[in-house]
Parts: sequence; structure tokens; C-alpha cells
Amino acid sequence: MAEPLLTVENLQTQFFTEEGVVRAVDGISFTVEEGELVGLVGESGAGKSVATSSIMRLVEEPGEVVGGTVKYRDQVIIDFEEGPDGERRPSDEMLSNKQMRDEIRGNEIAIIFQDPMEALNPVFTVGSQLKEFIEINRDVSGKEAKQIAIDMLREVGIPEPEERYDSYPHQFSGGMRQRVLIAMALSCEPSLIIADEPTTALDVTVEGQILDLVDELQDKYGTSFVWVTHDMGVVAEICDRVNVMYLGEIIEQAEVDDLFHDTKHPYTQALLKSMPRPDETVEELNPIKGVMPEAINPPPGCRFHTRCPDAREVCRRTRPVYQDVSGPEGYPHRVSCVKYESVGYEDSEPLDTEATAAFGGDIIEAQGESNE
Amino acid sequence: MSRLRYTIGRLLQAIPVLIGVVTITFLLTDAIPGDPVSIMLGPSPSAQQAAAIRAKFGLDQPLYVRYFNYLFDVIRLDLGESLYYSVPVTQKIMERLPITMLLMVSSFTFALVTAIPLGIISAKRRNKPADHISRVVALLGVSTPSFWIGLMLIIIFAFNLNVLPATSLVMPWADPSTVDGASNQIDVIITAIQHLILPTITLGTLQMAAFTRIERSSMLEVLGEEYVKLARAYGVSEGKILRKHAFRNAQLPLITIVGLQLTTALGGAVLTETVFNINGMGRLVITAIQNQDFLLVMGTTLMFGVVFVVGVIITDLSYAYVDPRVSFDGGD
Ligand SMILES: Nc1ncnc2c1ncn2[C@@H]1O[C@H](COP(=O)(O)OP(=O)(O)O)[C@@H](O)[C@H]1O
Ligand code: SF4
Ligand SMILES: [Mg+2]
Repeated sequence: MAEPLLTVENLQTQFFTEEGVVRAVDGISFTVEEGELVGLVGESGAGKSVATSSIMRLVEEPGEVVGGTVKYRDQVIIDFEEGPDGERRPSDEMLSNKQMRDEIRGNEIAIIFQDPMEALNPVFTVGSQLKEFIEINRDVSGKEAKQIAIDMLREVGIPEPEERYDSYPHQFSGGMRQRVLIAMALSCEPSLIIADEPTTALDVTVEGQILDLVDELQDKYGTSFVWVTHDMGVVAEICDRVNVMYLGEIIEQAEVDDLFHDTKHPYTQALLKSMPRPDETVEELNPIKGVMPEAINPPPGCRFHTRCPDAREVCRRTRPVYQDVSGPEGYPHRVSCVKYESVGYEDSEPLDTEATAAFGGDIIEAQGESNE
Repeated sequence: MSRLRYTIGRLLQAIPVLIGVVTITFLLTDAIPGDPVSIMLGPSPSAQQAAAIRAKFGLDQPLYVRYFNYLFDVIRLDLGESLYYSVPVTQKIMERLPITMLLMVSSFTFALVTAIPLGIISAKRRNKPADHISRVVALLGVSTPSFWIGLMLIIIFAFNLNVLPATSLVMPWADPSTVDGASNQIDVIITAIQHLILPTITLGTLQMAAFTRIERSSMLEVLGEEYVKLARAYGVSEGKILRKHAFRNAQLPLITIVGLQLTTALGGAVLTETVFNINGMGRLVITAIQNQDFLLVMGTTLMFGVVFVVGVIITDLSYAYVDPRVSFDGGD
């Protein structure tokens, strides 16, 4: 297989707050191949947004990437080495901040944010914002940049793009603004677009239209995507491969069909069960019980054991290993759960988890209000 | 075109406000105790003399008649004749207003030119030494009375160091022959600037302090916005983010405060003019009140009202110019 476009290995990002160290991203690894659409899915607060800004080296105070490696093709975005005093320090091979700005952000990796209402600057016209980013990231004149912007607006389905070019963001609806942000990303011709819950703020009909649009444009331009979402339905619709995240860790990774039909991790199972289905009423919804614990003080052993319906005594003591459980052929299917290890799960006593308790919050409902 | 439409709309709205200003000024002046006639004629005038004066100024007529007479006079820009100076009130105002305006414009410019960079540096270096210093300076600026600042400046720079003049203002457009030691217009301008420095600092310090804090907090807020993150994610440099992506948005709260500070500054101008012996509007008002020159009181009060209304309109228009959400309709 060719070298992946993006390789993330054991990435760790922490926030140093007054309450303590928040281990927001705690050693995640995944890859994105050329032309692939990879999902990053998990409840609100799992660390998805922090993971995406870490990859772009855009984590803000008090946060800091403290470990791991991120490579884009052969360029080293993040890497650490051991200094003479034994301290971990950023390695020399890492791109400089200027290189990140000039060579990676925008022109190689572009980003689409969750909230289209906030992501465009209210005091500049939509067109001038597009044009500026195109000029920064592509070797074109101002006039060409404007033409590219207009063509791309047309491509993402903005009617009368010549006129709309001079409109201000507040003159667009939410769905139209998200189209503008997609146009912005595509028009810089990056090889990878990271979309952080781009449809979460939109209503279902508009979400459907946007997903269709992305599907179509991805075919056309062959751009790779990291698609961040909390919605398994969206994953099923557009992703090739999925990483499921829980409390700073990726706990399962597989091709999308594999993940849906041969689900390994109890958390993934719970996420799938909690998906609203047309043949079910609201009462039949199956939300995951309990709330995700704080990332400051994650539970020992398996982090999911406080909510896992299959939790046993051993889960509280043993850190599951993230391992490949696929057969000899086929794409790797990785999972971290002691059920797939030989550490005595079968003989262990069942745990009394919140998953069996009578109450439990509907966490899926509480999406998107984590830390914005 | 939307901006033009907004501008016209805003100007039209000013008309009823100005009529309101005239009305309130008229009623307030009428309510001031004391009889202007006795001031004009001395302690014990004869009944005929008093009646004649009353008739001359229309004071024998009922309130509403006098009100409408005054309103129509104002519309014709006739503010009557000052009892104290025996010249038309408008003439006196035209003489004094430019002096006060020069002082106001100069001190607002001083405040903005210093406050904007200070606020931005504070925001960029949040909780670092530069930020702490600017906080202390702002705190001192807000809490020190301006007349005290004025007196200190006079003692230090005029009396002790003898480097700057301490009294009156010179208009930069004055005729060189009327200005001591000036042989050409450049000399006049230099003299004018020297005279302006101390009063400007006196009047502008409070504004500067207030503007610095506003600039800092709004810059901090804007730097945390999604669109700033987006600009970073597309490779825009930090310098350009400050200068372009954050700057314009961050000025919106400042514009609002500039408009509101106008009243404080008008009050401050009266004090500053007194401390520096400047013959501007502030001292004219005081003279008018002391001498119960009721037409002059009305005229000057009216003028302060007009200056404030115009200031607010300019504020609103700048706001609308900077923020398209105000002047452009949404069209989803
Ligand atoms: N600025 C911050 N300061 C402290 N903690 C933060 C900050 N930003 C994010 N976190 C923490 O990092 C964790 C992951 O957040 P996030 O990546 O936004 O989750 P997601 O995008 O999956 O909903 C959360 O526990 C959140 O509280
Ligand atoms: S390790 Fe145990 S608690 Fe964790 S997911 Fe597997 S079964 Fe559940
Ligand atoms: Mg998020």
C-alpha cells in the first residue's frame, strides 16, 4: 500500500487548567489514505475537536500538544524527541510555524468548522474572504482568485454567484454559509479537508443536501476528508473508514461496513443502538446510559467501564490494548476492549455499572455544547 | 446604496431630536429662577421701563406663544441678542465654538491614537508586564480629576520647565499678524500646537484610559472568535489577523463608547477652558449663566445639544459603515 496522506501516532494533547490537567486527546493513532473519507465519531467532549486542531497545530492556551507524531506525506507536523536532559521536547524535524502557515494550513490541509454562523467574518463580504484565502494558498493573481471563488460558489450550489460574491455573511442562511465554507476549503485545492461537525448546526434536510454535495465533490476532486461527527447516520452515509473516539482515546477503527455489521466495541454498539431509526418511536430510542466522565480524571482500567453494559471486574483493573482483531485478509479492524484479550474476562465478576441503572441521560441530545 | 439609505434615514431622525432639544432648552431656561428684566435694568426699575423691556423681548406673552416664536427663530438660525455682550447670540457662538471644537477634536484624536495601540498591545500580551502597565495607566487616567491633571501640567511644563504655554488657544488658521512672534502661517500652526498640547492631555486622559480598556477587552473577545480561528487555519499570519481580520470588528464597541464619552468630554471642556483660561464655549456658558443672559444661555445650551446630536449621528454612521449588519438588510 502507498504511504498514507496523514499519519497520526500516539497523539497527546492536554489542557493545563486550574482544576488539573485535562487529557483531552490521550494517545490516538489513525491514518488517512489518499482520496479516503475517514470518520472520527464520538460523543461531545470525546476530544474530536482538540484532535483536529492538534493536527493543524492550532491548539490554544492553556492547551498543548505534549506527545506523538503527526506526518503529512513526508512532512513532519508534530514530532518529539528526547533531549539531553531526558525531557521530551519538540524535534528539529518539525515544520516551523512559518512553514505550517505557508505550506500546510489552507493549501495542503483545509478545515471546515462546525458553526457556519460564526466562522465567517461579519464585516467582510463573502467573496473577499474567499478571495483572500485563495490568494494566500494558491499561486494566482487577484483577478484569477476572484474567478476561482465565483466558480466554486457556483459549484457548491450558491445561486447567482456573481451577485452573491459581494454579499455579507449575514445575508446568507446557515446552510448557504456552510456551502461557502466548503467552497472556501475546496477552492484552496488542499489534499485533505478536516470537517469538524460541519452539519451539526444545520437542520436535517439541509444536512442531507450538504452530505450529497460533499459526496459528489469528493468524487470529482479526489480530496481526502477527515469527517468529525457524533452521528453514526452521517458516518454510514459518507465515510469509507471510521475511528470511534471515547474520552480522548480511539477505541475502535474499521471500514464502515465492517464497523456496522461486525461491531466489536460495546461503546460502538451503544452508539449504533442510540441511532434514531424510522421504524422506532421516540420512546424506543436507546440512549447510552450515564454521562461521559471528566477527562481530568479518567476512570482507571477501561475508560468506558463506568457505562459499559458488558463491564466486568477485570475491566476496572486492566487497560485494554488497542489491537487488530481482523482475520488474515481484509482491512484491519482495531479495538480496545478486554473481551478480545485473554486476561480472564470470562471468569470475571460482572460490574454494577450505570448502564444497568434505571436512569440515564440522553447524551446524544446534548451534543455540541461541550466547550464552545 | 444601502449605506446611503441608512445615512439619509439617520439624518432625518435627527430632526425631531433637535426640536426636542430646543423645547427642553426653552422650558428649562424659563424655569430658572430670577427675572432677566431686573438684571437688565438694575435693582428698582420703573414699571413703564420694565413693561417696555418685557414687550421688546416678548416676555409679556404667554409661554406657548414665546415658545413658538423662539422655535421659528431658531429655524431661521436667529438666536436673539445677548443681553450681556449686546451682539447676536449666533455671532458669539460662531466666535467661541471653533475653539472648543478644536480642543475636543484634538483631545479625542490624542485619546484614540494612544488608546488603540495600547489596548491592542495589552490584548496581545495579556497578563504580561505590558498589560499590567497599561492597566495601571488606565486606572490612574480614569481616577485622576482632569482639573488636577491640568494644574499639574501647568506647574511642571509652563512654570517650572517653561517649555509650553499655559493659557488660551491659538487657532491654526489665524492671521499671522494677529499672533505674537509669527511671521507666516507655519509659525501660527506651530504656536497653535504648542498651546494645544497641555489642554489636550488634560481633557483627553480620561478618554484615553476608558478607550484603552474597551479596546483591550473587545480585541481579546474578537481574537477568540471562530472567524479568527478560521483565518489562522487558512495560513493567515498573526500580524495580518490583528491588522485586518480582528481589527475592524474590535473597533465596534469603541465607536459606541466614543459617542457616549462626548457628553463627559463636553463637561470636561468647560473645566479645561477654565483652568487654561481658554475663551471657548465652556466659559461662554458660565458667563451667560452668571449674568442671567437668558438668550445666551438658551443659545449655548442648544449648541451643546446640537454638538452632542451631531456626535451621536457621526458615531452611528461610523458604526454602520464598519458593521454591514447595521446598514444592510439580511436576505436569506
Ligand atoms: N480550552 C480548553 N480548556 C480546558 N479544557 C478544554 C478546552 N478545550 C477543550 N477542552 C476539553 O477537552 C475535551 C475534549 O473537547 P473537544 O475536543 O471539544 O470535544 P469534542 O469535539 O469531541 O466534542 C473536553 O473534556 C473539554 O472539556
Ligand atoms: S473493556 Fe470491559 S468495560 Fe471496556 S468496553 Fe470492553 S467490556 Fe466494556
Ligand atoms: Mg467538537
